[in-house]
Amino acid sequence: MRLRTRPEVPARPAPGTELLTAEAVRLTVGGRELLAGADVRVTAGEVVALLGPNGAGKSTLLSVLAGDLPPTAGEVRLLGRPLAGYRPPELARHRALLPQSAALSFPFPADEVVRMGRAPWSGTAAAAEDDAVVAEAMAATESTAFAGRPFTALSGGERARVALARVLAQRTALLLLDEPTAALDLRHQELVLRVARARAAAGDAVVVVLHDLTLAAAYADRVVLLTGGATVADGPVAEVLRAPLLSEVYGHPVEVLPHPRTGVPLVLPERD
Amino acid sequence: MLSSSTTRSRAALGPALLLLALGLLLTLTACGPSTGSTGAATGTGVTKAPDTVEPLPGEPAPQLPATVASADGRQVTVASADRIVPLNGSLAEIVFSLGLGPKVIARDVSTTFQQAAALPVITQAHDVSAEGVLSMHPTLVLADRSTGPAEAIEQIRAAGVPLIVLDDAKKLGDVGPRIDTVAAALGVPDAGRQLKERTEQRITQARAALPAVDRHPKVAFLYLRGSASVFLLGGPASGAGSLIEAVGGEDAGTAAGLSGDFTPLTSEALVKAAPDAILVMSKGLDSVGGVDGLLKLPGVAQTPAGLDRRVVSIEDGQLLSYGPRTPQVIREIAEQLYPAAAK
Amino acid sequence: MTTAVQKKTVPLARPRSRTTLVVVGLAVALVLCALLAAGIGAYRIPLGDILASFAHRLGLGGHPLDRVPESVLWNVRLPRVVLALLVGGSLGCAGALMQGVFGNPLAEPAVIGVSSGGAVGAVACIVLGLDAFGNWTITAFAFATGLLTVFAVYAMSRSGGRTEVVTLILTGVAVNAFCGALIGLFLFTADTAAINQVTFWQLGSLAQATWGKVLAVLPFALVGLALAPRYARPLDLLALGERPARHLGVDVERMRLVLITLVALLTAAAVAVSGIISFVGLVVPHLLRMVAGPGHRFLLPASALGGALVLVAADLAARTLAEPAELPLGVLTALIGSPFFFWLLRRTRTKQGGWA
Repeated sequence: MRLRTRPEVPARPAPGTELLTAEAVRLTVGGRELLAGADVRVTAGEVVALLGPNGAGKSTLLSVLAGDLPPTAGEVRLLGRPLAGYRPPELARHRALLPQSAALSFPFPADEVVRMGRAPWSGTAAAAEDDAVVAEAMAATESTAFAGRPFTALSGGERARVALARVLAQRTALLLLDEPTAALDLRHQELVLRVARARAAAGDAVVVVLHDLTLAAAYADRVVLLTGGATVADGPVAEVLRAPLLSEVYGHPVEVLPHPRTGVPLVLPERD
Repeated sequence: MLSSSTTRSRAALGPALLLLALGLLLTLTACGPSTGSTGAATGTGVTKAPDTVEPLPGEPAPQLPATVASADGRQVTVASADRIVPLNGSLAEIVFSLGLGPKVIARDVSTTFQQAAALPVITQAHDVSAEGVLSMHPTLVLADRSTGPAEAIEQIRAAGVPLIVLDDAKKLGDVGPRIDTVAAALGVPDAGRQLKERTEQRITQARAALPAVDRHPKVAFLYLRGSASVFLLGGPASGAGSLIEAVGGEDAGTAAGLSGDFTPLTSEALVKAAPDAILVMSKGLDSVGGVDGLLKLPGVAQTPAGLDRRVVSIEDGQLLSYGPRTPQVIREIAEQLYPAAAK
Repeated sequence: MTTAVQKKTVPLARPRSRTTLVVVGLAVALVLCALLAAGIGAYRIPLGDILASFAHRLGLGGHPLDRVPESVLWNVRLPRVVLALLVGGSLGCAGALMQGVFGNPLAEPAVIGVSSGGAVGAVACIVLGLDAFGNWTITAFAFATGLLTVFAVYAMSRSGGRTEVVTLILTGVAVNAFCGALIGLFLFTADTAAINQVTFWQLGSLAQATWGKVLAVLPFALVGLALAPRYARPLDLLALGERPARHLGVDVERMRLVLITLVALLTAAAVAVSGIISFVGLVVPHLLRMVAGPGHRFLLPASALGGALVLVAADLAARTLAEPAELPLGVLTALIGSPFFFWLLRRTRTKQGGWA
C-alpha cells in the first residue's frame, strides 16, 4: 500500500495538451455490447459534455475512461500511456471521478469525507497543502457550513456538494463528473458547472455527463454525443446541438433556439 | 449484471471446494487415531482386572409370570424372560451376574464387559430409539429413571412390551434393592438373594481390607473430557460420594459446598478445595493425555493430589454402576488411593 | 515517513482530542481491570503477597510466596488474565477490520465462516476422539478448519478477479449453514460425554488457559494488531464504496485479501483457544464508533483495547460471580452485552435519527 519511494507530484499539463484519448472503445459484458465504438479526446483546459439518451453508455464510458473497466477492444490512453499501465495510486493523482450517487458506510463528518480526497497525495510534497485544499474545496461548493456534521445526516443536495468537494480536493488534472447536477436545485446546478468551468480555466480537463442539454450548451466547450454505445457526434456546442440530430438521437422532436440575449442555444422538446 | 456463464461456473466450483474441504477433514480424522497415543497412563500402575462379570454358577429357571412395581408407579407383569433388553450397562451387569446372560439379546453403548461384547448395540442411554429396541422383539425391557427420552419409554410400553423402570443407583445402599428388583422381574428371586448376599459380603470384605488411616483423604471426583473444555467437579449427587466414603475418604465436592451432580469449576476453586486425591474415569483421563496431561490442566498441579500425583482411575462402565461388581471397584479405588498399603 | 505523513494530515482538533481521550481512558481502564483480575480469585492471595511476588519476579526485592499460592498466581490466574487480554484484543480488532472491509456495521468475523469452521474442527476432534497433537489437538484443528473455511468462502465468492461483498456474505451464509449441518452430523454420532464436551466448548471459556496457549495466540495477535493500523486510511476510504476507494488509489481487492487473512488469523487463533465468544467482535467496534467517530486510525487500536477490556472483565466475572462454579464466558458476554447494546442502539437512534 505504501510506496517505498516518495511519489512525484505530476506536473500540470500545458493548456491544449491532449490528456485523455479513447479510440474505438468497445465493451462487452455478459454478451451485451455496452460500448460499440466510442471515441473521446479530452485536452487540458476544456469542459467536455458527454450527452446522450438513457442507456447510451455515458456512465459506462466514464467508467472505462476512469480505468474501472478495461475495454474489450480499443484503447484508452492517459498522457499517451495506456491506462492499464497505471497502478491505482498513480492513477489517483491524475484523475478523479464523481460517482452518480454518493454513499458512505459510516458516519464520517463532512470535512473528513472531503479530506479523503487528499489520500492520493499522502507522502508527497503536495500533502503540505491538505488543509488549505480541503478548506478551498468546501468553500467552492458552499459546504463549509456543515463541515462538522456527519455525512450520513446531510440532505441529498448537501451530500452531492460534499462529494464534489472531495473530488475537487483530489486536485487532479482530469475530472470526470457523472451527472453532478442530478440531486441539485437550480442554484446549485449553476454553482457546480461554474466550478467545472473555473477548473478548466485553471488548466484542468473536465468531462461531465449531463442530461440537461441547455446546461451543457451554456457551460461546455465541446459536446460528445453518444447513442447505442457509439459516438455519433463530437464537436463545438453549436455544431452538435442541432435540432435534426438531437431529434433523431433522443427519438423525440426537439427545437433549438438561440437565447434572446446571449445567443447561447436553448434546447427544448417540441410540445403541443 | 452477472453473466449466466460466470454464475454457473461459480455454482459448480462451490460444491467442489466444499467437498475438497470435507475430504481433507475426513483424511485428517482418519489418520488421527492411528498417530495418536492411546496408552492409558494410570498413576499407580495397578494391573486392572479384565472387564468381565462373574455370573452365579448355573443358569436359574425363571418362575413367570411375575408382577413387579416399576419405579414410575406402575405394576408391570412379566410373562417371559426369554428376550431381555437392559437399557444400560449397570442393569446388564445384574442380569448377567444372575446367570441370565444367554437371554440378553441386545445392549447399549455403556455395556462394555466382555460377555456382552458380541451383542448388537441398539441404543445409547440418553437417546433410546423405540424402534431400535422393538426391532429386537424383546419380552422384557429394563431401564433406569434417567433413561430417556420419555417418549421412547412410552412407545415401547405402547407396543405391549413389559418395561420396568428402576431408580437410578447413586449409593452403595442401592445395590441390594436393585438386584432384588431385577431378580423379581426376571422371576429368579432365589438367584437374586444369592447374588445380593455374595455382593454385600464382598463389599464388607473389601472395606475390611482397607488400611488404617489417621486422616480421611479428601477425594475430588473430576469429570474430564478433553483438555480444551472446563472440568466438572462431582458434588453430592454425582454418585461417587458413597464410593469415596466406602474407601475411607471424604468427597471434596460435598466438602466444598457444591450441590447437584456436577459443577463446572474454576481452576482456583479446585486449588482451594485442596483434594488429596483425584478420582476420574479412565476414558476421561485418556482424553486429557493421562496423568501427565491431567497435571498440565490449570489448577490440578497446585492441589495436594497433583503434587503427589495421587490419581485414581476407574473404567467408565464400572465406576458408577452400583451392582455386583461394586466390591471390585472399591478394591481398585483402595489399591490406587493407598498404593503403599497395597504393596 | 508514516509519522511525517500523519503529522501533515492531522484532522481538525475537534475529533482528535476526543479519540485520544477515549484511547487513553480505555488503556487506563484495561490496566486497572487486568490488575484487579490478577488480584481476585477463588483462591485468596492477599494483595501484599501478590505485589511481593511481582516484585520478586521482576527482581525488585519482594519475596516468593509459598509453593501453592505462587503457582496459583503465576500458572493459573495470570495466564488466564493475559489470555483474556489477547483473545479480547484480537476479537475486538478483527471485528473492527471486518466491519471496515465490508463497509457494514453488522459484519462480524463469523460472517465469513471462521467461527463455525473452527467449531467444525473442534467438534470433529471431540466426537471422533482425535488426539494427534495431544492436548493441542482441538486447538490445532479449530485453527486449521477456521482458516480453511474462510479461504473456501473467499475462493468461492471470487469471480473474474473480483469479489462482490454481497456474494461474499451470501457465500458465508451458505458455508455457515453447511458447517452447522456438519456439526449436527457429528453430534448425531456422538456419545453423551462428547456432546457435553462440545456444548461446553461452544459456550466459550478461558478456563484452560496456560502459558502455552498464551504463546500460541501471541504471534497471531501481535501480527494482527501490528499490521491492522497500517490499513486505517484505506479502510476510511473504503467507506466511500469500492469504486471511489479505487479512484483514490486503494488496491481494494488486494487490501481485502490481506485484511480477511488478518481477520481469519486473529479470530481463528482466538476461537481455537477459547471456543466461541460472541458479542465482542460485533459490539465493541460499534460502540466505540458511536462514542468517538468512525475513523479507523482511532477505531482499530481502540477496538483492540476495548475488546481486551471487555473480555478481561467478563472473564473475571465468569470465574468469580458464581464461585466456586465457572460461568460460561461466551454466554456471559452475550447475556450482559446484548441488552446494553440494545439500549445504546435506541439511544443513538433517538439522538441522531439513525445511521446510514
